[in-house]
Amino acid sequence: MIDIENLHKSFGDAHILKGIDLHIKEKEVVVIIGPSGSGKSTLLRCINYLERPTSGTVSVDGIILGSEANINDVRKEVGMVFQRFNLFPHMTVLANIMLAPMKVRQVSKEEAEERARKLLARVGLADKAESYPQQLSGGQQQRVAIARALAMKPKVMLFDEPTSALDPEMVGEVLDVMKSLAKEGMTMVIVTHEMGFAREVGDRVLFVDDGRILEQGTPEAVFEHPQEERTKNFLSKVL
Amino acid sequence: MNFNFDLVVTSFPLLLLGAGVTIKITAMSVALGVLIGLFVGIVRICRVKPLRFLAAVYVDFFRGTPLLVQIFLFYFAVPVITGQRIDPYVAAVGSCGINSGAYVAEIVRAGIQSIDEGQMEAGRSLGMTWVQTMRYIIVPQAIKRVIPPLGNEFIALLKDSSLVSVIGFEELTRRGQLIIAKTYGSLEIWFSVAIIYLVMTLSISRLVAYLEKRYNTDDRH
Repeated sequence: MIDIENLHKSFGDAHILKGIDLHIKEKEVVVIIGPSGSGKSTLLRCINYLERPTSGTVSVDGIILGSEANINDVRKEVGMVFQRFNLFPHMTVLANIMLAPMKVRQVSKEEAEERARKLLARVGLADKAESYPQQLSGGQQQRVAIARALAMKPKVMLFDEPTSALDPEMVGEVLDVMKSLAKEGMTMVIVTHEMGFAREVGDRVLFVDDGRILEQGTPEAVFEHPQEERTKNFLSKVL
Repeated sequence: MNFNFDLVVTSFPLLLLGAGVTIKITAMSVALGVLIGLFVGIVRICRVKPLRFLAAVYVDFFRGTPLLVQIFLFYFAVPVITGQRIDPYVAAVGSCGINSGAYVAEIVRAGIQSIDEGQMEAGRSLGMTWVQTMRYIIVPQAIKRVIPPLGNEFIALLKDSSLVSVIGFEELTRRGQLIIAKTYGSLEIWFSVAIIYLVMTLSISRLVAYLEKRYNTDDRH
C-alpha cells in the first residue's frame, strides 16, 4: 500500500531523514516510536507530501508521488490527523466534516451530511454536529478531526502524535476510536508516545532514531527483546 | 477676527455636493482597491515566483511614490503615451484605487499569514487544492482580522481623495477652493470643509467598530 525507497529529507543543513526504506501492506497498523527530533513526524508527513522529500521515492497505492496533480490524488486517499487537531474554527463540526467530500469528491450536500452524521455518531459525538470546534474539549476535537479525515473514505490513515496535545483524561477516548478503526482493517501509520497503545494495536513497531529506522518488528519483539542499545535505552525511559 | 456664519450657511449646500462626490470616488476607489488588493495580496504569497515578483513591484511602486505624483502620472503622463485624454473621473478613481490596492494587498497578505499554518496543512491533506483551501478555509478566517486595518486604510483614502482636486476634479476640497476664490472666506470655508471630512471619517470608524464587534461575537461560538 505504501512503499518508501531510500527517502532523505533535509531542512537547510539539518539532515533529518537519512535513507528510509519502508513497505506497508494493506490493513497493516504500523506504529512509529522514537525520541523527539528523531524524524518520525517528518517521515509521516512525507507520506502525503506535506513535506517534500529531498530525494527518494514515496508511492501510495501504486502512485509515485511527484506532480501536483497526483499529490492531490494521493491525498484524497490518505487521511491525516494532526497533533493540534487543525479543525476549521469558522465552521460547525458538521461543516468541517462535509467540506472536503463536497469540494474534492463532488459528493452532494445531502449525502455529505448523512455521512458526516454517521461518522459523528461513530466517534460518539452525534450531539455536537452544530457546535463550533472551540466549544469542544481537546479529546472531542480530535475525534471530530478523525471523523473529518474518514469522511473522504481514505485507504490509509496517518496519525501524527494524535494524543500529545491532550489532557491525560482525554487520551483514552481518542485511542478507543483509533483501536476500533484498526479492528475494522484500516491501514494506519501512527506516530505516538503511547507505548501501551503501540503494543496493543500495532502489527509492527518501528523505532526511529537520528533519521533512520533502527529497529522494527512485532510489538512483542521490539518491546520485550530489543536488539539495539539505543532502543533499550529509549524504552527504559518511556516504559 | 470676524467669523461670517452666513457664509457657512449659504455655501454649505455646495460643499455637501462636493462631499457627495468625495464619497462617490472614495467608495469606487475602495471597491477597486479591495479587488486589486485581494488578488495581489494572495499572489504575494503564492508559489509562482514571477507572479510574486510582479506583485511585489506593484506594491513597492505605489507605496513608494506620492499619490499626488501618481495622480499627475495618470492624468497628464498616460495621455502622452496613449494619445487620448483621460476623463478626470477615471483618473481620480483609477489613481486612488490603484494606490489603495497596494496598501490593501499588504493588509491581505498579513491577514492570511496570520492564520495558523496547520489550517493550510489540514485543507491540503484532505485533498483540497491550494486555491480551494484559500477560498474556503484561509480567506474567511483572515477577513475578520483585516477589518480594523482595512478601516484605517479607507479613512486614509477618503482624506487622500482631496488630492484629486489638483486635476480640477470637483470634490469637497476643490469646491471649497472655488467658493473661496469668489468669497475670500478662507476661515469659514476651510473650517466647514474640515468639519465635513471629520464627520465622514468618524462615520467610517464607527462602521468599522460595529463590523469588528459583530465578527468577534461570531468568534465566541
